[in-house]
Amino acid sequence: MKRDRAWLLLYLATVIAATLIHDPRWLAVGLALVVLLAGREAGVLLRRAVLSVLAFNTLISLSYLGMAWWRDFSPWQTLLLLNLRVLLLTCLTFLFITRVNLFQALDFSRSLTYVLGLAYSQALTFSRAHDDFRYALASRSLQRPGLLDRYRASAAAVSWFIEKSLHAATQSSQALRSRGFFHD
Amino acid sequence: MHIPDGFISPQTYLPAYALAAGLWAFAARRVKRDLDAETLPFLAAYTALSFVLMMVALPLPGGTTAHAAGIGLLAVGFGGWMSFLAISLVLAMQALLFGDGGITALPINAVAMGFVGSFSALAAWKLFGRFNESIALFLAGWFSIALPALLVALILGVQPLLAHDAQGAPLFFPFGLAVTLPAVLLPHVLIGLAEGVLTMLGYRYLTRLRARILQ
Repeated sequence: MKRDRAWLLLYLATVIAATLIHDPRWLAVGLALVVLLAGREAGVLLRRAVLSVLAFNTLISLSYLGMAWWRDFSPWQTLLLLNLRVLLLTCLTFLFITRVNLFQALDFSRSLTYVLGLAYSQALTFSRAHDDFRYALASRSLQRPGLLDRYRASAAAVSWFIEKSLHAATQSSQALRSRGFFHD
Repeated sequence: MHIPDGFISPQTYLPAYALAAGLWAFAARRVKRDLDAETLPFLAAYTALSFVLMMVALPLPGGTTAHAAGIGLLAVGFGGWMSFLAISLVLAMQALLFGDGGITALPINAVAMGFVGSFSALAAWKLFGRFNESIALFLAGWFSIALPALLVALILGVQPLLAHDAQGAPLFFPFGLAVTLPAVLLPHVLIGLAEGVLTMLGYRYLTRLRARILQ
């Protein structure tokens, strides 16, 4: 538990440090260190990080290139700095997620751990249900569903999630009360 | 409107954390006081609801989709502070458990989407609710998207002024207000229309459901 909390603090300190450094060479060294720390998972980590920032960073980089061309200045230093920093922070976050148990890192607050645990488990259930709704619509449609059908499907999904949330809240509350959680 | 990591300067995110921490502490006290010790399961359930609402695709004419946020619905349905905490928890979960969003952008996203979004929705709901409930709900949804987008556009747009090198080159988000205001605000003004409809229909359903459960 202490180990997870120490890693959380180290992660936060490294994030702040990465935003205080503006030399691309040091950011590249930081990125290399994170990749080395990932060990055998380095390839997967890098691929996942690149894919997750690709759309946003490409849009920003191409727009900045266009602006540099229009206003006639060199954009390369800024683009290198921005993309290296974003990639470093994203790799660092993914490494943190795979190595650290966040629930144990936050166990200094009982309420926070409980609410996060409950919310996370319900979010995972809802996420799977959301996929099921999507597949259900696709598997029951011979052609691409029309706008009205997609509205109806979204409305059905939202109403199901609202109903499920109210019931889940009541059930969890009763379950916790019956086990004496509120009186400990 | 979700800002990823690496585009916000420490001059922005560190004070934003201080502000967000104060708001989180106050919100936790208010939610606990307004409900009771059994608040935790409800907060968790609404957080999960908010999480999944952000996954629901709102179809737009032309075959494209926008993603709902559910901020207006949560604020009007469950109160501003509950909504703020639920949205903040979703953003924290997305950043630290799913690697989506970013830890440096978390306080800004939380204050913009969670606080400004929830309370602008509540203000619209209270202000216009006296005249017409449907319009008030629609505006609550629209404001819950448009005002946070405006705040995010302002924060992104001032980054080149706050953090630049000796030559004036930006160190974080590289575009000024002339770019960020139209680029962020215009799409969200349109997405707000879909969010307005979601808030209107969702709230009616929620009211009916609550009455059924109470029976």
